Amino acid sequence: MKFNSDIVIGLEIHCELATKSKLFCGCARSGSNEPNSRTCPTCLGHPGSKPVLNKKAVEFAIKLALATNSKITKELIFSRKSYFYPDMAKNYQISQYEIPLATEGSIKLGSGKEISLTRIHMEEDPAALVHPSGMRESKFVLVDYNRSGDPLVEVVTNPDMTSPEEARDFMNQLITILQYLEIFDINNCIIKADANISIKESGYIRAEIKNVTGFKDIERALKYEVARQKEEVKEGKTLKQETRAWDSEKGITFSLRTKETEADYGYIVDPDLVKIDLTKEWISEIKKNMPELAHEKLAKFTKQHGLTEEMARIISKDKELAEMFEAVSTAIDPELAAKWIRRELTRVLNYNKKKLNETGIKDIHMIDLLKLIEENKITETTAQRIIEKLVESSFDIKEYVKKQGLEAVSDVRGLEKLCKEAIDEAPKAVEEYSSGKEKALNFVVGIVMKKTKGKAKPDEVNKILKDLIK
Amino acid sequence: MDINKIIEECKKINDEYHYFNTIDEGLNSKSSNCYESSIRKTPKKQGDGKLNNIAISVKDCICVKGLESRAGSKILEKYKPVFDATVIEKVKQQGAIIIGKTAQDAFGFGSFSTNVGKDMKIPLNPFDKERACGGSSGGSAGITQKASFRHITLSESTGGSIVCPASFCGVIGLCPTYGRVSRYGLMDYANSLDKIGPMARSMDDIALIMEIISGYDEKESTTLNEEVPKYSDFLKKDIKGMKIGIIKEAFGKGIDKEVKEKVEQGIKKLEQLGAKTEFISLPLTQKYGVETYYLLAMCEASTNLAKYCGMRYGAAEKLEGSFNEYFSKVRSDYFNDESKRRIIIGTFARMAGYRDAYYIKAAKVRTKIIEEYKKAFAKFDLLLSPTMPFVAPKFKDIEKLTPLQNYMADILTVGPNLAGLPHISIPAGFNKDKMPIGLMLIADHLKEEKLIQAGSKL
Repeated sequence: MKFNSDIVIGLEIHCELATKSKLFCGCARSGSNEPNSRTCPTCLGHPGSKPVLNKKAVEFAIKLALATNSKITKELIFSRKSYFYPDMAKNYQISQYEIPLATEGSIKLGSGKEISLTRIHMEEDPAALVHPSGMRESKFVLVDYNRSGDPLVEVVTNPDMTSPEEARDFMNQLITILQYLEIFDINNCIIKADANISIKESGYIRAEIKNVTGFKDIERALKYEVARQKEEVKEGKTLKQETRAWDSEKGITFSLRTKETEADYGYIVDPDLVKIDLTKEWISEIKKNMPELAHEKLAKFTKQHGLTEEMARIISKDKELAEMFEAVSTAIDPELAAKWIRRELTRVLNYNKKKLNETGIKDIHMIDLLKLIEENKITETTAQRIIEKLVESSFDIKEYVKKQGLEAVSDVRGLEKLCKEAIDEAPKAVEEYSSGKEKALNFVVGIVMKKTKGKAKPDEVNKILKDLIK
Repeated sequence: MDINKIIEECKKINDEYHYFNTIDEGLNSKSSNCYESSIRKTPKKQGDGKLNNIAISVKDCICVKGLESRAGSKILEKYKPVFDATVIEKVKQQGAIIIGKTAQDAFGFGSFSTNVGKDMKIPLNPFDKERACGGSSGGSAGITQKASFRHITLSESTGGSIVCPASFCGVIGLCPTYGRVSRYGLMDYANSLDKIGPMARSMDDIALIMEIISGYDEKESTTLNEEVPKYSDFLKKDIKGMKIGIIKEAFGKGIDKEVKEKVEQGIKKLEQLGAKTEFISLPLTQKYGVETYYLLAMCEASTNLAKYCGMRYGAAEKLEGSFNEYFSKVRSDYFNDESKRRIIIGTFARMAGYRDAYYIKAAKVRTKIIEEYKKAFAKFDLLLSPTMPFVAPKFKDIEKLTPLQNYMADILTVGPNLAGLPHISIPAGFNKDKMPIGLMLIADHLKEEKLIQAGSKL
């Protein structure tokens, strides 16, 4: 391939699909973490055991293929990828070879640049190797087969990325798609990347960095690698095509092996699994149940709802928030809805380390709350407090406001009385304000707010005070 | 017959002929109607199972829960499966008694049961102890011939491992359509070719057990979801007008004269009963069958045997060196020569650079061979040939064979196995040395009943 950019990056990303059971047996994919508790003869590779394909996993993978506009194969065929390794129950991995599930797809980055995909294929995860005292020091390795046979999709890109930042964004976009499709659970699904990277100065001699977990580390690892490769070229060294590992703690990559030739996996079709017809009917059935995706929502939010690009991007990134925004903005001014969902709701959720679905906050709560703001019935401060309460337990907003007496004080005469009291209580601040220190007034406003328990509108209080002091 | 006596007899026969790798002696210590050691699910009422109290032996490569099952190999010594194969579950439900695991070429790699696992004994022909039982299911065929009690064996064929020993030992052996009987619990040789099937002395028992073990299995993806006929209804059915194609090539060069004569007598008998016979030629199968079979079988076998590395079950050695060194040591020490040969050839034939020329090409030729048979079955109900071109050979002659000559012995049996076609070997008499001769019938896919219909007339 001919390249001309300074940096060339291609990714192979493995994502675990959030199915209930494993890819070829009935064992639970997640649950007990006691080593080797979620196993059976099939995922342990016992003699005589046979794989039976989990159709749900196929459905999940097809969703990803559809979401990336890939071409889907008519027949699903699995192959045996043979190599000896202690984490392999059968010393071959059931994967796909000549004919992957999908080809020719693409994923758009935030910048609008399209990254093309060579293929998406399905395979089973090997077991996990546990090095009790670190990878290099341990005298022995323990094997935990709980992971053995978990369903994975491998997404392979063309070498279209030209910076570590783009690689990070690609991972980010992919995770967003996976989450929108509800085929990936960030809490218990593994996502890891192998990254191929080369630079112009070396004549594009590529290094493959294995097993980088998470989008932040992808950027870190690749940045390190760019710097390393540039440094080596500068020192006059010739780079070798090699496989490297990423040490996240130390923030460095190190050489695992130099690759002279491609590994030979001796693929054969897995004769224990029959070819599965991916019929038009099945695929259109899956298509029918596909949610609207982030980029589609983003376009809608800017065009139909009139949000700024940035606001639309942030809201559309999170499926739950995006869906809430859509529902709320049918009753509330979209801009106000966006502002509150994006800022206040997100702030409170982050503070409590909760996701929206882990709280009782529903669309109707936001609608009621924002209506009260629109109608000037509560202050923004009150609304913030209510959201904080809502995270803990769900309740009827209107009733709560009434019961707690949280309606905003907009009775001017009543406010005037309280303002006068405040002026009397803070002569020093009033004097400073009168002598030109604008900020001193805030102290007086604060007293009034305290007297009204936050129910007064700061703007109004400000105005009344200024009028009174004048 | 009392189960204790059966076990006693098996042990006695075994001392002389080596038909068993394991005899389920656990049975012996219990009363004759209490077989918990091997029966998980018994019929609701004692005595209403279709196989009640029938002794069944099982080829070593079929998993029986808790009973040592090693596919005739040393590397799986002492391995006790944690589950029953589907066929075992089915026969146990019908009240059968599992008596033991029968001797075989390790992993099914052989035509004479001489490639047994290291340090294991070779089964001897029931008619002449200087001759082989045939393979790979030698023990199955031997005990089926020798047992004085009613007995059925569950065996397995990849390229002829049921009909070959059945022919050499003078019993009936039926290899069903690929996918007719579940392979769940069968230790794989070549998954796209492996089939579990029975041997017995009577066609009634063959029909009976086929009704029980056939059918769809949700645990095994390649089983066919097709209704199972009542095979025993075909035992008495006449064969008037049945069209039988006589495979021309099978009677040509290389066939033993006496084998030819006896099989021709069988043909005459079928003709007298109203069957219409005609010669048919299968040139492609004749020319490429053996090569195609061995390439595909070895490619698959080499991946299947990868799991035996001394790590999770079976043989284990002192942990020394890297995992690569350890795996290599265990595999070098425990696999026999034929296993190594097939692993090496099978791995070679699927490696980059050779894969297209061997593995892929063989898969394509296999399709052509299936087409050749399908064309024949458009015209015929059954095809007929000798099972083996000769009677059971002497061990001293087998020793002289090169591996290639060895493989060529399968020339008549690999065809239906490659095409997944059901076939049966039926005793057709003896030669002058009193060695049995077998006649083979082949039917179209899922037409086992025709094999039973015609076979029961011989």
